[in-house]
Amino acid sequence: MTWTCDLVEARLSDYLEGLLQGPERVAFEAHAKSCADCAPLVASVRSLVGEMHSMEVLEAPPRLVYSILDKTLGPRETVTAWQGFLNAIRGLATPKFAYGAASVMATLIIVLGASGFSLRKPKLADLRPAAIYQSADRQAHLVFARSVKYVSDLRVVYEIQSRLRQDENNLQTAPEELLPKSSPGKNPGQTDEHQPSQPRQQNRANEVSRQLQMLAAELPLLSERSIR
Amino acid sequence: MRRHTRRIFNICYRFTGNRTEAEDLSQDVFLRVYRTLASYRSAHGGFATWATSVTRNLLIDHYRRTKRDRITDSLDDKMPVVENKESAGRRPDEQALLGELSKQVQSALTRLSPELREAVILRDLQQLEYAEIQTVLAVPEGTVKSRINRGRIELARILQQMGVRPA
Repeated sequence: MTWTCDLVEARLSDYLEGLLQGPERVAFEAHAKSCADCAPLVASVRSLVGEMHSMEVLEAPPRLVYSILDKTLGPRETVTAWQGFLNAIRGLATPKFAYGAASVMATLIIVLGASGFSLRKPKLADLRPAAIYQSADRQAHLVFARSVKYVSDLRVVYEIQSRLRQDENNLQTAPEELLPKSSPGKNPGQTDEHQPSQPRQQNRANEVSRQLQMLAAELPLLSERSIR
Repeated sequence: MRRHTRRIFNICYRFTGNRTEAEDLSQDVFLRVYRTLASYRSAHGGFATWATSVTRNLLIDHYRRTKRDRITDSLDDKMPVVENKESAGRRPDEQALLGELSKQVQSALTRLSPELREAVILRDLQQLEYAEIQTVLAVPEGTVKSRINRGRIELARILQQMGVRPA
């Protein structure tokens, strides 16, 4: 391809940006170096592009940013400290904040109640660490004692029930020992002198009361109650 | 936001060559972006590309509005001269703002036609890729490359006429 001055001028930027390769580039350079018009043109444009690439980036004036903000978002109103405080308070009047504040207050009241602080008769002395510790210690011991008593009561009830079941089984399995022996010649209504007849319910009640008395002797807690 | 502000301010300043106009146009760009944010779609490219498109459109609109003023001004300066500190017509702080050579390049940029000027600014000053410039200018890639090439050559010739020799 024969490079002319018009062609060199048309492809000058491609050459400067390295888009011409191989023989095309060689031919371009050959013409540019030898041509009296193209040589200074290529040199001046190359120099110009280099200078433009190194030109400094200007900083925008600071007032420009504020001016843009004023014209887009509106001018900022100057507020006094008191107005600023009221604006901040107003900003807190949201449902989310109200729920959070209510939760915090409820937690505080529960914690204060657990620590022994009386809300009806508040005393600053109740907030002493020693007082809070003593109150918590006392409550812990109370809870432990109540749980021990509850478990013991459950044990008592279980043992009573098991004894009652056992007695029932005993009465059912051996009723003939308690009932009077019937002879073949026994007449109705005639009682046995050796074994006076007793009602089954009375025998059972006597047995139950005897068992309960034994339990009362074993378990001190049962002495507080009376079973009739 | 500062990053976008700096980039848009640079585009506006390089295009207009005037600090005050660049600030006003930058504000207009952000106002336009703020008002039309609902119409932004990711199909338009990234947010930066979309903001650059808005900037370019406002710059072209501004150029066309002020074209008449520039026509009357251009009758007085047919022969471009090398600008020095005494004849620059800028404030001293603007002189300090630019380097010695960069201010001459800036002056030459304002003499380019708007189509070539915006292409050169986006490629050589903002280092955008061809594909992104294609999106911003809404023209085919071949047109983008052609405008960049012609803009560079024209810029070099303007600097040569101003008496600025290449380094």
